[in-house]
Amino acid sequence: MEPVERLYLDALMEEPAVPERSLRPQLLAGARARRRPAAPTATWAEPYAARVAAMDALLAAAIDDDWSRIIVEGWTLQELVGHLAAKDGLLAHSVGAPVLGPAVSALDAMGRTAEVHAFERARSPEQTRRDWRAQADALSRHLAAMPAESAATVDGLDAPISDHVLARSLETWIHTADAAGQAGIRLPRPLAGHIHPTADLCARLVPWTLLFSGVEAAGRTLRLTLTGEGGGEWRVPLGAGSPRPASRTRTSRPTWSASASCWAAGASRRRSRPRWRVTPPWPRRSCAPRPRCRGRSRRRHHGAHDMDLPATGTPRPAAER
Amino acid sequence: MEAPYDDRLLHRRVVGGDESALGEVYDRLSSLIFGLSLRVTRDRVIAEDITQEVFLIFWERPLAYDPDRGSLRAWLATIAHRRAVDHVRAEERRRVSVLGPRLFEPEPPRLEETVLAADEAKRVRQAVTRLPDGLREAVELAYFGGRTYRQVGEELGVPEGTAKSRIRLALRRLADALAEEEV
Repeated sequence: MEPVERLYLDALMEEPAVPERSLRPQLLAGARARRRPAAPTATWAEPYAARVAAMDALLAAAIDDDWSRIIVEGWTLQELVGHLAAKDGLLAHSVGAPVLGPAVSALDAMGRTAEVHAFERARSPEQTRRDWRAQADALSRHLAAMPAESAATVDGLDAPISDHVLARSLETWIHTADAAGQAGIRLPRPLAGHIHPTADLCARLVPWTLLFSGVEAAGRTLRLTLTGEGGGEWRVPLGAGSPRPASRTRTSRPTWSASASCWAAGASRRRSRPRWRVTPPWPRRSCAPRPRCRGRSRRRHHGAHDMDLPATGTPRPAAER
Repeated sequence: MEAPYDDRLLHRRVVGGDESALGEVYDRLSSLIFGLSLRVTRDRVIAEDITQEVFLIFWERPLAYDPDRGSLRAWLATIAHRRAVDHVRAEERRRVSVLGPRLFEPEPPRLEETVLAADEAKRVRQAVTRLPDGLREAVELAYFGGRTYRQVGEELGVPEGTAKSRIRLALRRLADALAEEEV
């Protein structure tokens, strides 16, 4: 902004002009009609409701061509939204919340995604967007009355409902970032208070990531340092005693284990984004094989005892397909 | 110039669908936006409509604002200015059309992506030159010279607090001067 403009605005602020009547109540009522606020929900589910609202704000700006553009995993924006609706629907199904869209027959992520895609194919992108938002808001509202620790099984994985919801929040965030990136729109980060529990989930998933990567780490402890907003320090015991997946058959494989380190490390590329530093308690040489992410992994080495988890170009759920 | 941290935080909350953040943005900036719209349109009802619309645009399309490119205040003021100027031009066209059709419609001028049109900016600069010397120097150093309050104080040989209060006094005088011109 030109200095003279800044001066002008500063001068105007010294001389408050007030409308005849307060426009505030009218404004907030008008705002609700133009764009739905984040759905009311339990405090622990707010990171999810906020990511849904952010994705919807992005979708509101999408025009015809945007909907048919491939965003990620070979999916168009409309298919990506259908995929999010499918997975939100599976979580809704497991906790007894309303499930919208086609009747549920497949209970795994890809099967349900195929069902939703088949259903949405005959519909307009705008209808798909409405269905997804309605599903997400119905889920958020249902969660308002649930304790965070309630157990839920989704796609073969048993975990507290709050962890499932954080995983939904994370995936919604990641895909919003994917779509925003394609559209050349800068997506601001979630609030620190929303990043932190998500980071905590990712930290707790590190042992699984190592387990799936075949890393011998039993009895060891990782110290994870996540700097930046929402960061913190975690001591993560690896191997024995760490959570194990319920089963490792193809359909029940947890869909977000590897995404934890991928997302976290992917975020380290950008300035002021959270950055993971892993301090392995063993000599560097025995680090290999390291945690591995699918996709465009880059390995970088820093110092003798610190390592960055592999950075991916775009944060994305890795073990999804 | 990048946006201050408060702007970023409010922006992030609005992107996340937090209505109370919109209320906070309104509380902080509505009088500025209303005052700006009123100056251009000279119509309280229209200025209220524009004010309302500016905040609704921010709520509805929060990703159109990029904090890396400037403050929220400047972004909202730019939209308000553009809307107010559009209104004034539409009014002018309406008046003209009452008098009969033109033979040649002039090309509509490109809408300025600014808070101030060139002639308005000139008026502000002129108002600065008419300030008493002590106030004028402080404003020129702070705004056109890019100095901090502390640097302004050092250059004028006064304490930082004095520099600050001179600048605020100058801003109030400027606001009065600009208001008088419009009467």
